Amino acid sequence: MKKSLADHLLDWSGRIFLTAILGFLVLPFFVVAIASFNKGAILSFPPEAWSVQWYVNAFEYRDFGAGLRNSLRIAAIGAGIALIAGAGFAFVFQRYEFRFKSGLNAILMSPLIIPNFTIGLGILILTASASLPRNLWTVVTVHVIIVLPFVVRSVYVSLQNLERNYENAAESLGASPAYVLLTITAPLLLPGLIAGGIFAAILSFNEFTASLYVVNRGTTTLPVAMYNYVREYADPTLAAISVMYALAVAVLLLVLHRIFRLERVLNVE
Amino acid sequence: MSKRPFLGWFASPSILIAFGLTASFLAIIQYSLRAHVPGSLDPGGFTFDNFTTLWHLAYGRAFMNSLLLCIWTAVFALLIGYPLAYAMIRARSGLLRSAILLISLTPLFMGEIVRTYSWMIVLGNRGFLNSVLLKLGLIDSPIGFMFTMTGVVIALVHFTLPIVVVMLAAALSHIDRNLERAATSLGAGRVRVFFTVTLPLSMPGVVAATSTAFAWTFSAFATPQMIGGGQVSTISTMVYQVGFASFNFPLAASLSLTGLLFAIAVLALFNTGIRRLEKYGAH
Amino acid sequence: MLSDTLPKAASKTGEQIAVQIDGVGKSFAGTVALKPIWLKIARGEFLTLLGPSGCGKTTLLNLIAGFLEADAGELFIHRDLVTRVPPHLREIGIVFQNYALFPHMSVAQNVAYGLRTRRVSKVEITERVREALALVKLEDFADRRPRQLSGGQQQRVALARALVIRPRVLLLDEPFSALDRNLRGAMQVELREIQSSLGLTTVFVTHDQSEALSMSDRIAVMSRAQIQQIGTPDEIYDRPQSRFVSTFVGDANLFSATLISSSGKDVRLKLGEVGLDLTTYQSDLPAPGPVTLFVRPEHCRLTEAGSPGAVPATVALAVYQGSYTELYLDCPFADTGRAMLRVPASTVMAPGTAVGIALPQQGPAIFPKE
Repeated sequence: MKKSLADHLLDWSGRIFLTAILGFLVLPFFVVAIASFNKGAILSFPPEAWSVQWYVNAFEYRDFGAGLRNSLRIAAIGAGIALIAGAGFAFVFQRYEFRFKSGLNAILMSPLIIPNFTIGLGILILTASASLPRNLWTVVTVHVIIVLPFVVRSVYVSLQNLERNYENAAESLGASPAYVLLTITAPLLLPGLIAGGIFAAILSFNEFTASLYVVNRGTTTLPVAMYNYVREYADPTLAAISVMYALAVAVLLLVLHRIFRLERVLNVE
Repeated sequence: MSKRPFLGWFASPSILIAFGLTASFLAIIQYSLRAHVPGSLDPGGFTFDNFTTLWHLAYGRAFMNSLLLCIWTAVFALLIGYPLAYAMIRARSGLLRSAILLISLTPLFMGEIVRTYSWMIVLGNRGFLNSVLLKLGLIDSPIGFMFTMTGVVIALVHFTLPIVVVMLAAALSHIDRNLERAATSLGAGRVRVFFTVTLPLSMPGVVAATSTAFAWTFSAFATPQMIGGGQVSTISTMVYQVGFASFNFPLAASLSLTGLLFAIAVLALFNTGIRRLEKYGAH
Repeated sequence: MLSDTLPKAASKTGEQIAVQIDGVGKSFAGTVALKPIWLKIARGEFLTLLGPSGCGKTTLLNLIAGFLEADAGELFIHRDLVTRVPPHLREIGIVFQNYALFPHMSVAQNVAYGLRTRRVSKVEITERVREALALVKLEDFADRRPRQLSGGQQQRVALARALVIRPRVLLLDEPFSALDRNLRGAMQVELREIQSSLGLTTVFVTHDQSEALSMSDRIAVMSRAQIQQIGTPDEIYDRPQSRFVSTFVGDANLFSATLISSSGKDVRLKLGEVGLDLTTYQSDLPAPGPVTLFVRPEHCRLTEAGSPGAVPATVALAVYQGSYTELYLDCPFADTGRAMLRVPASTVMAPGTAVGIALPQQGPAIFPKE
């Protein structure tokens, strides 16, 4: 079938527009990559001389190292707790009717609407007025609250896609509810659980605004440490660490995509 | 026999978290009704003063800025995100589809600071964009993107685009292709098919994406703080400033509470508006 | 263990009841899915629940399996009261429409699953799994994953998995509907052979009437949340007791007629100007007035137009079926305006030809006008 001139115009303008948008999406990361190799402390485009000293600087800057350790710990613990709580809630929400079900759901999903700064402020005020200590667990609590809706949603979708007859068949074969859960439900949900957990860990690792309200010197996360740096110094050290940060996340994302096919996780097939 | 095995075990952790969240919210409400004691972090007695203070012009501007940022960001994110989502769903090659998806998602996973800092380098007076435009001779003096609404909107569109694309793609992928084929067989051209079949059927996705873009923008802090540089004050930057510069947490509490109600009201207005429009369109 | 602790079903001596359903019913959110029913299934019997979708047959199956809990009534399996017993203690086997083979386990692990839950020894598990796979001729497929099998093979695995636990009742939930036509026939024969050789009580759910007729000892025809008629396949086919059963099972010609009078099983009818004297198989006849006359196509005969006692009709369409031809006739007295007759394949009839339909003296039925 021959295409008309109008069709060709439509195709080509579409392609150009698409390329431009994709360019817009990746532009800042390319620019920051170039800037990270700028020799001088003051940025210029194109850089007059090249250097890797800002990478060295980023590695040597103590707050980044401490921030990274804190962020990894908080992300691991927070994602773990969010996964346990979120998977449990998704299970009972999908299967059962119980009192306060919709109320509980509304509260747990509310962080999708409540801004992160409000959640951070709320936990800060709560710890202050209840005279609770502010430590790593305070930050973890904030992160669990923020990532929980995403975990619940991802596990809920997996549960809905799970053929109920697998469990019915197992039951008819003499398996008790606990045995069914252990040998049928859990193994079949595993991909969804892992995806939800990794997703939660990435979200937690990236969380900045709410953390800013609840961290103290000892619990500063990497994003907060980076924010503090950019307020004090203007040199490209932050560009260097941004590049490493972006590369790490990009690799993780690619691995996730290879294993789980993001189209399926995000329900856009 | 128990008809709901594991109910208690599985629900308990989330109930605990819900209690924590509720308690923190009650703490905000409680603080918003307490007086600020200068020089002290402990709040004073019961008062409504925090809310009357919010009538001040500076806060009014923050509300206005937040609203404008949300609207502009949502509009541009939709205009850019829709073609992107469409291209992704309709791409014939799986590789292209995956590439578009991954590139669209990158900003989502880069974190606020990396993203915003990168845009500072792009948009600064000596930044990438101005350097390129100056070298090309398209402009004589740098365009001021930094510390302006324009700059903040550009970075926020970049921030909200991933979620908008994902939500639109989800809506588009669930449209039965045969409906479009049927329209084509009835003689409709591609443009007509799009505007009479595809777009109307994807409207629920558009509404959901708009709401989400709105909520995300409203919640954004690092971008208006770093790119706005104090010149574009929003509710989020204002709450932080009131809290951590003047240590007036009761006022910060009332400001974020009012901000939340404001955002919910705007979203509710938007949703009823859409519903009206749909009703009207159905006739 | 169940048999010692639970109340027993009342049963007449000598009668071996496998399943007894006493007034079991179920509603969902105010919608009645199954009206209370009473039903006894004998040991070794192959009972089919036949009906259109939404008739309650799957609800009844799920109640027997224990996936649903009855609102009212009691259910006995082998004389044990199981109404409130959870599915995993009911000792039933079930084959689902999509087979529900565990995708993360091999064929052998699937079959062994029910034995592992019963804590059977490893040696015995190996032996019984081998036996069960041999029974369904899949010995060589033990290490495959379910997705590596064809539809027919998957179904055999599902059957082996259900049989290996030596269930008291086998439940089949439309197991053939996912198979293509040729395979379906072969699997039906195979299943029936296995079932009767093991003497296994089987409850089979289907919406396919030919499947029901060919496989069952008894058929329960269901619609509108209740059993409309229960009987052997020939009883259901030859002596339907209601208009619904007559049309749902097999083809039916239905005519609008007026019942003039009846005595015993003999009736006098009028179709327009045509008067008919017939003998029905019914013991229960409607009152004189407008009625529906039911005749199977194979009992109708094609005659010349205007023959005495023949119903006037016009040929509308001839559909060649290989061994015979289906002749569709426009008939003013037919309920749907159309009647159908099977004639020898060689018959040539031009559309528009006026013909007559001769009805048999014996065998029709009369249902109240709906």
